[in-house]
Amino acid sequence: MQSSAHTADGAENLPRLAGHFASLEVQNHAARLGMWLFLATEILLFAGLFVCYGCYRFLYPEAWAAGSRSLDLTMGTVNTIVLITSSLTAALAVHYAKEGENKKVGVMFALTLLMAVGFLVIKYFEYAHKFHIGTLPGRYYHYEGIQVTGIPLYFTVYFCSTALHAFHVVIGMAVLSVAMVRAFRKKDFGPKNYTMVELGSMYWHLVDLVWIFLFPMLYLV
Amino acid sequence: MAIANESHQEEKNMDAHHGAGRYWLIWGVLLVLTVVTVVTGRMHLPSFGLLLALVIATVKGTLVTLYFMHLAEHRGANRLVFGVSILFVVLMLVIPMADLGTRFRGANPPGSQYSDLQPADIGTGTQRGRFGGGVRQTETKDTPETPAPHH
Repeated sequence: MQSSAHTADGAENLPRLAGHFASLEVQNHAARLGMWLFLATEILLFAGLFVCYGCYRFLYPEAWAAGSRSLDLTMGTVNTIVLITSSLTAALAVHYAKEGENKKVGVMFALTLLMAVGFLVIKYFEYAHKFHIGTLPGRYYHYEGIQVTGIPLYFTVYFCSTALHAFHVVIGMAVLSVAMVRAFRKKDFGPKNYTMVELGSMYWHLVDLVWIFLFPMLYLV
Repeated sequence: MAIANESHQEEKNMDAHHGAGRYWLIWGVLLVLTVVTVVTGRMHLPSFGLLLALVIATVKGTLVTLYFMHLAEHRGANRLVFGVSILFVVLMLVIPMADLGTRFRGANPPGSQYSDLQPADIGTGTQRGRFGGGVRQTETKDTPETPAPHH
């Protein structure tokens, strides 16, 4: 409780209350509910790809086994650990925002962003390798090592789902950057004003959540 | 009024401040589960490998939503939204799979596990084209599977 921002709050650090909300509590609740609704649509977006995965895996189990064994498990595991750890720092940012320690909030988000960049760099190397050897979707598949019926479909699912996930990583980075800059510059997060940190962090956890499922589905089984 | 009460309860739950230790604990559990899923995944367990991996992923996902995303402290409406979305995911998975599993055998794509038909020759080469890939002719020349041209 040593931070200067914390002592200054009380009246000053309260977020603006929109006229149509009865109280700040109701406004926060509405914001949170809206975020959950948005995350539900995101989950269903990825579910479509999971259904593709399920159907084609059912039809071409040998191609799926061969395809998943051709991926680099070490890179996948490192990426999983990186993403889980970035989720931890995002959660800690909410923790510090509630305490009004804006500097720590900024540092936690900076660490999260650093790990997000790391994730994307590793992903780039994986993609580059696949473009090099030719394990690509559809008619662009030209890898001699694995010639099983349905193998291009495995890589269609692989590229669609990981690319959509990587796109979410980039969006999440943009959201967290805004919150990070605000924590460093405006320093107005506190026990009554942390909705932005909380919802941004929720988005980041969703990115982590999707990867938690994609990783074993693509790399392990 | 009920909604206002719910907001109040949620606010109180969110205000009840936990130490940062809980996040570190969840992080540790997630890492351990990651190691478990990698180790068991590498064993290539024959039948229940996929099931085990999905169960571990579900446990990890539950920990993330309950504690990192604070669903454990949130109230009815948020839980309802999340629960319904998961229910829809399960329905979306189960219905197409039930369809595929009970189809007339001839309706499955040729070349798939449940078909007696050869995959269609899409005309990119007598041997390779059947596998559905547009194999580059120039790069297939000196591979052992391609018979050397007779002179």
